[in-house]
Amino acid sequence: MNKELEHQFVKNLERHQNIAHKICRIYTHDQESHNDLFQEITIQLWKAYPKFRGDSKFSTWMYRVALNTAITLYRKKKRSIQTQDYDSVHFKIKAEPYDDQAEVHLKLMYDAIRELNDIDKALVFLYLEDKNYAEISETLGITEVNARVKMNRIKTKLKSIINP
Amino acid sequence: MDNLDLLKKDWKKQEANLPHLSYEQLYKMIWNRSSSITKWIFFISIIEFLGMSLLNIFLADEELYAQLELYNLTNFNIIYNILHYGITFFFIYRFYINYKKINATDNASQLMDSIMRTRKTVKNYIGFVLISGAVAFTIAMIIIAKSDNLIPGEQTSEVFGLTEWLIFIGVSVLMLAILLGGLWLLYRLIYGILLRRLYKNYKELKRLEME
Repeated sequence: MNKELEHQFVKNLERHQNIAHKICRIYTHDQESHNDLFQEITIQLWKAYPKFRGDSKFSTWMYRVALNTAITLYRKKKRSIQTQDYDSVHFKIKAEPYDDQAEVHLKLMYDAIRELNDIDKALVFLYLEDKNYAEISETLGITEVNARVKMNRIKTKLKSIINP
Repeated sequence: MDNLDLLKKDWKKQEANLPHLSYEQLYKMIWNRSSSITKWIFFISIIEFLGMSLLNIFLADEELYAQLELYNLTNFNIIYNILHYGITFFFIYRFYINYKKINATDNASQLMDSIMRTRKTVKNYIGFVLISGAVAFTIAMIIIAKSDNLIPGEQTSEVFGLTEWLIFIGVSVLMLAILLGGLWLLYRLIYGILLRRLYKNYKELKRLEME
């Protein structure tokens, strides 16, 4: 294994690790599965790194590979556990006292996002990351029109979850 | 402003609370094979133990006990088994602890320590198996020779001259050499590969620490 490549990769990963952490935050609900997914993403990135030619930015490439990992690989492994975790998190959030109205609203939103499917979560994530529709469509491999339509549906879905 | 845009602002703020892993920790993550290697060492030791125990149980029939009795080996067999199983259990426990330790640390120098300790445990274990095998075999042969029952129905001391004794000793030593040599090769093959991989990880970590 090429040492220079390794060094380069870890340097890049260190600089952009927030991307992976934020994906973990969207897809997992406790520290342990956060770490699990983070490690899985790291390994998948490292495996894919030789194919990264540098025609796109590292961060752009990382968004794609990391989201793919969260959507495909992780889903298979964690399905059964996820539902359990969700309940406990749900419970914990409800039990915490809030005095700020806006904060309550934010919690509700985060909670609602957890109920979305994995693809929708990816869209929301990229939207929160302030990506435009061209970037979203490129990262997820869908058309720009499709991304817009999906995003609108998600907004409606989120609204209906919050105000049933 | 719609809900998601509000969330976007919060999302940015939350960025400050994200965990940050060091270069070292991330590096270790892509080299995190040490944990799975020690896991395999642990598993193999259990498989080996189960295999040996099954073989023991499978081979232990009336005939074997009669033969042991004939050669005065019954007591020796009991003592040997107790010691052997006891020490083997101890090693399996050590392998388990090594695995747990390597699994739990993400600090490079601690990991290096754990790797070295694991290598030492494996080497000690192999040493134990080979030396105890040689000692047990030698003692068993001496007891057999003294039992005076080497040839069925005859007193060994009356039939055996110097030549016969030399042949007996020669064949015994040869058998022992083949047995231990085979075991040693097997261990080198199974554990050798794992140990080399561990050592490679160790060198990687060492290099990392120098930088």
